[in-house]
Amino acid sequence: MSIASSTHRIARFALYGVLALFCLYYLMPLYVMVVNSLKPLSEITSGGMIALPKEWTVAPWRNAWSEAQVGVEATGMRPYFINSFLMVIPAVAIATILGALNGYVLTKWTFKGSTILFGFLLFGCFIPFQIVLIPMARALGMMGLAGTVPGLIFVHVVYGISFSTLYFRNYYAAFPTELVRAAQIDGAGFFTIFFRILLPNSGPIAVVCVIWLFTNIWNDFLFGASFSDFNSQPMTVALNNLVQSSTGVQEYNVHFAGAIIAALPTLLVYIVAGRFFVRGLMSGSVKG
Amino acid sequence: MSFLDIDKATKSYGAVRVLNETDISVEEGEFLVLVGPSGCGKSTLLNMIAGLEGVSSGEIRIRDRRMNDIKPADRNIAMVFQSYALYPNMTVRSNISFGMEMHGVRKAKREEKIAEIAELLQLTPFLDRKPGQLSGGQRQRVAMGRALTRDPDVFLFDEPLSNLDAKLRVDMRTEIKKLHQKLGTTIVYVTHDQIEALTLSTRIAVMFGGEVQQLGTPQEIYDNPTNMFVAGFMGSPAMNLLPATLRDAEGGVAVELALPDSSYISLPFPRGATLSGQDGRAIVLGIRPEAMTDPESADAESPAIHQAELSIDVIEPAGSDTYVTVSLCGKDAIGRFRANTSARAGARFPFSFDMAKAVAFDPETEQRID
Repeated sequence: MSIASSTHRIARFALYGVLALFCLYYLMPLYVMVVNSLKPLSEITSGGMIALPKEWTVAPWRNAWSEAQVGVEATGMRPYFINSFLMVIPAVAIATILGALNGYVLTKWTFKGSTILFGFLLFGCFIPFQIVLIPMARALGMMGLAGTVPGLIFVHVVYGISFSTLYFRNYYAAFPTELVRAAQIDGAGFFTIFFRILLPNSGPIAVVCVIWLFTNIWNDFLFGASFSDFNSQPMTVALNNLVQSSTGVQEYNVHFAGAIIAALPTLLVYIVAGRFFVRGLMSGSVKG
Repeated sequence: MSFLDIDKATKSYGAVRVLNETDISVEEGEFLVLVGPSGCGKSTLLNMIAGLEGVSSGEIRIRDRRMNDIKPADRNIAMVFQSYALYPNMTVRSNISFGMEMHGVRKAKREEKIAEIAELLQLTPFLDRKPGQLSGGQRQRVAMGRALTRDPDVFLFDEPLSNLDAKLRVDMRTEIKKLHQKLGTTIVYVTHDQIEALTLSTRIAVMFGGEVQQLGTPQEIYDNPTNMFVAGFMGSPAMNLLPATLRDAEGGVAVELALPDSSYISLPFPRGATLSGQDGRAIVLGIRPEAMTDPESADAESPAIHQAELSIDVIEPAGSDTYVTVSLCGKDAIGRFRANTSARAGARFPFSFDMAKAVAFDPETEQRID
């Protein structure tokens, strides 16, 4: 074996070694969460955070899901989990459809001032959440939506439109205008063209948009904490309440299980649609 | 009143006028080609006929009905686009059927029509494929099929062949001409390719700078260009445009062409009879390459063949012909010789000028003067 190839092998080895080390480093928190959610509390308090459980149990998961004291009653996280879904699904659907419509109009039915309008819409991407808290609370109150799930949906749709419009506008800018013209000559109207021609060809960008909105809205804590009451709190707020409860013993194993439950849906969305994510991001931004 | 009337049609974007008071009348069954370089306004005019772009002033009428404010779908026109514009998410069948569906044609009737068109364009085996699975020529045929469903008053073609490779382009050109002969529908066809214009059309409108430069049959346009732009644009290789001098000669008019050695050749110019008495006037003589040929290839019917010996600069064999470049009047002039000519670069060779085919332009106005 020549010297060149042996030094090459050593370099390779070192490289993979470092990568493996980083991999371990990044996976460590997940490992700690999973392991500790599966052991009795006594094992954690006796100082074995890293060790595998001596006695395996799913009790902390059951506890977090349906028995833990989160709100006034010991309901576990289940009702809040449902709240989150009731909020996320309509919010994502509405923001995506509106974004697609905006993108369609801003690229294929341009009017005087459409570029400026798009600029203002984009501006929404850069407004920090904190700034709108008080005006939004007032607006929700006036609409009679304060402290309700529809109120939260409204807030998230308003914030989501900026991003979904950005995605779809850039995607549709590269969409051949001749197709729209051909459909016009074929006799299709504004909405027919949108639903029959553009939307069916928007797969990649729709996936990007849905992942982005789903993750953001699911993970949102600030709006959830500010604009909900006991019956409409989303998952993130419930998790906070679970962990922050000051009465009794800190049940770390239950906290770990709850945190994993809270993170599972976004994780699933990434695993299922993730490979479209990068592809869609590229197709939206590069061609646009 | 013609079938399709374009009456002083003008298109402006703000202060920019891309189409200026254009008048064209098209009879039923005509094949009109709008030809010109990029930005001449030909596609704009087509889009205005289609209703995809508004008319700034003037009128467009089909069958005497004012079209200016009528939606594209209600004009009874069909259009084939340069990119074919097939709906990528639909099968060939749905692509062809979409327009009929939008116009509320019953399903049974649609199926019948699709089968008929697929038969006509040999698309039957591909009906259930998506456009992405078809070749360029097949996509082109689907695009035409989609247009055919409407039994339109006017067919509009927007550079339909420019995305095809050279061989296929020639095949499809013939297909389109056959289709026109079979169906007899009125066609307005946009292209920048002058060969397509000459081969397909019954009439040509040569456009430049938002104006129609000349409107006429292919033969008129080719033989009698009204100005230097049309002369230079139509025909390949282009017409030779040579700065020359008029001379009064015995029994008529002659033109004097300068040679590189500052001597002259003088050729009788029968078409210039109206220009007699203008001895010494500078003109631009237009003469096509095939009217500058070797003596054996000269048109025996022509009343005005005149020979002159010239020194050859370059020889370009092109298979069926040989192109011969000489220096004349300070320009490179191209003559078309037969393929097996004995002419050689660097040698002197007799040229036969068919002066019955030569035309004269004013160097200032660039308009025809003979």
